[in-house]
Amino acid sequence: MFKRWILDFAYYLDTSKSYQRRKRFFYNILENDKNKYKKYVDLFMILLIFISVGVLIREVKHHVNDELMFFSNYVISFIFFIEYMLRLWVSSSVSEIIVARAEHDTFLLRDVNLAKAFKEVIKVKLQYIFSVKAIIDLLAIMPFFHELRLLRIFILFRVFKLLRYAKSVQTLSSVLATKKFEFLTLSIFASVVIFVSSVLIYVMEGNNPDSPVNTLFEAVYWSIVTIATVGYGDIVPVTQEGRFVAIVVIMAGIAVLAFTTSLFVSAFTEKLDEIKEIKTIEGISKLKKFYLICGYENVSREVSRKLSSHANEIIIIDEDPLRVERAKKDGYRALNYNPGNVESYDKLNINFDKQVKAVLCLRENDVENVYAALTIRSFNKNIFIMSLLINDSNRKKLEFAGINTVVYPQELVGLITKELIGKPVAFEVIHELRSENSDVQIDELGITERIVENFPTVGDLENSRFRVVLLGVYKTANDRFYFNPLDDTLLEVGDYLLVVGYQVFIKEFEKYLHTRAIND
Amino acid sequence: MTKTTALIFGHNKYSHEIVRNVKDKYSNIRLFSLDENNKTENLPELEYFDLSDKWTEIQKSVDIKNSMAFCVLEDTAENIFLTISLRSNFKDLTIIAISSNKESANKLLMAGANKVIPLTETTSDIITNMLEKPISHKVLHDILYEESNLKIAQVQIGEESEFKDEQLTSIDWTRYNGIVVLSVMHEDMKSEFIYSSKAKHHIIKPGDVLIVVGFEKDIQNFENKIRSRRYVNWSHWSW
Repeated sequence: MFKRWILDFAYYLDTSKSYQRRKRFFYNILENDKNKYKKYVDLFMILLIFISVGVLIREVKHHVNDELMFFSNYVISFIFFIEYMLRLWVSSSVSEIIVARAEHDTFLLRDVNLAKAFKEVIKVKLQYIFSVKAIIDLLAIMPFFHELRLLRIFILFRVFKLLRYAKSVQTLSSVLATKKFEFLTLSIFASVVIFVSSVLIYVMEGNNPDSPVNTLFEAVYWSIVTIATVGYGDIVPVTQEGRFVAIVVIMAGIAVLAFTTSLFVSAFTEKLDEIKEIKTIEGISKLKKFYLICGYENVSREVSRKLSSHANEIIIIDEDPLRVERAKKDGYRALNYNPGNVESYDKLNINFDKQVKAVLCLRENDVENVYAALTIRSFNKNIFIMSLLINDSNRKKLEFAGINTVVYPQELVGLITKELIGKPVAFEVIHELRSENSDVQIDELGITERIVENFPTVGDLENSRFRVVLLGVYKTANDRFYFNPLDDTLLEVGDYLLVVGYQVFIKEFEKYLHTRAIND
Repeated sequence: MTKTTALIFGHNKYSHEIVRNVKDKYSNIRLFSLDENNKTENLPELEYFDLSDKWTEIQKSVDIKNSMAFCVLEDTAENIFLTISLRSNFKDLTIIAISSNKESANKLLMAGANKVIPLTETTSDIITNMLEKPISHKVLHDILYEESNLKIAQVQIGEESEFKDEQLTSIDWTRYNGIVVLSVMHEDMKSEFIYSSKAKHHIIKPGDVLIVVGFEKDIQNFENKIRSRRYVNWSHWSW
């Protein structure tokens, strides 16, 4: 009967949406770095840590008022206790383990063995409790029992709690963790040297009344101070033998120091790219809108330059490290990921529908562009994909791969030469309008509700006053462009004015459209 | 003055596209290849050339003044060498060349090309415009390349034009006869935007060229009004 209740309760929790939603919420604010509220929780905890350390320091020589002491000892400890319990709760799912055991036993037509399930639960919870982070968390709660004076020093464990919130410290520990073996070797070597030299100096100097080395502890202290190349000078060997030992220890100390420094440097050098990549991905996930460019070759480089000069964010991925390096040197966010691999986009951890304006497949190779486009289409049907086409015979393949717009440079050459022959100056004019280097530009001005209220018809716009040519109006409603519309043409919300003029005058005209008072 | 002969140097995807687009505009199209092993399909007969200065055969058979050369060799160095070779031999030849980037575009201009099409820049301009200004891109693309009713034309002010001696800015061009005047070109002047400070005080004279956008019929009416015809003069070309 009792067993039945436990199982029912476990199934209830496992399937309850509200319970899971709450648990996910606490998990996100405590453990998920991508959650936008987590940083506020972290900052709050850091503030509490500094308050308690501040109180500890102040208390050494001054009186701290009772309210602050109460806050430091009880309130902060209580908050840390709540945090500890929440972390313990979200670290693993008890109901999930019980349900999994029940499913397993039922499948094998056996009685559900709850003892095994609980054993498993205790195992995973203990695993968490004995993790370094959890132990520090627990010790940070200890100052609650501040009447025991010794336990007050545990406030310092609250400082260690900072490790949990400071990402750079986590990065440091993960970097050093990669050199575990080397550090182990180093510590064994240093320990052996310390042990041997301590014993030796103790044997050589222990019985000499002039020597400051009287105990084994003093000998160990001297060894460590010497091997670390600190050399306080409070304890020095006085016998010939002792000084000989000192020479050996000093040389060993230099070796240990050099080894340690080189370990740190090599660990960071090896991990530097990875750290930078993590930082780049973090930066990308914070971007609201950007263009994703696959491949960084000549056209891609120019497109990147032009798009970013229009204040657009761009992300470049390329499988070639040299090209990625070039993109980074040019000042772009670039990652050495293969655009034809789904895993690359998983690692990027971006929301295609919300964050990506368009995907540009700009490798100068049709096969690579088709591959990248197909990969993206396999998990997103809606994103706009534009691609370069190098060989016209591959056009259908690109279209079949789901590419929305294909740009074929050779065709452009043909079209351009055709126009150049008939009307070279006219062509130049249009070309200039499109070129970013020209002062005279063509621009699109969106019609808003406010503009319609103030300027109901084309005739009201007074664009010529601003030295701006109105080429026409694009009506979104029927997807048509009305060239040189009559003065009484009505403007509607969502329409676009196509204007030509000096950039500065267009800006002024646009400002005028948006800011003119209703009864002006 | 319209050119009658097209000399296309290079046998590749670019030359194919050029032939496809200009075959109706020239009475004589001659295609030259550096490689004697090349064969043509659906293209004019292929002739061979080398990069030595032996252009006597072309000189004899072609009216250089009425010809236009397209230098579309894929090797940039060879293309520059070809351009400089043509320019040193034919001062009056109009040369259009393609370049892969801005750097080689400058070299081609120094070598004597009248117009260079920088492929990378042009392609990236098109891509950027498609993304950033999709409507203007579509409209301009239609005006330039598609068979839309909307056209861009350059028309020259005639001797008996009613606008003669009027100040450019005193006329409301944008509302005139259904056409939009974008810019004006006066003698050696580069094309100037209609509202530029230079164009502002400009008095219209016979010989000025206006760049206008409008429907075919409106442009024709406008031409009749200013007593002019469509106009192409390569010597006025600015780059």
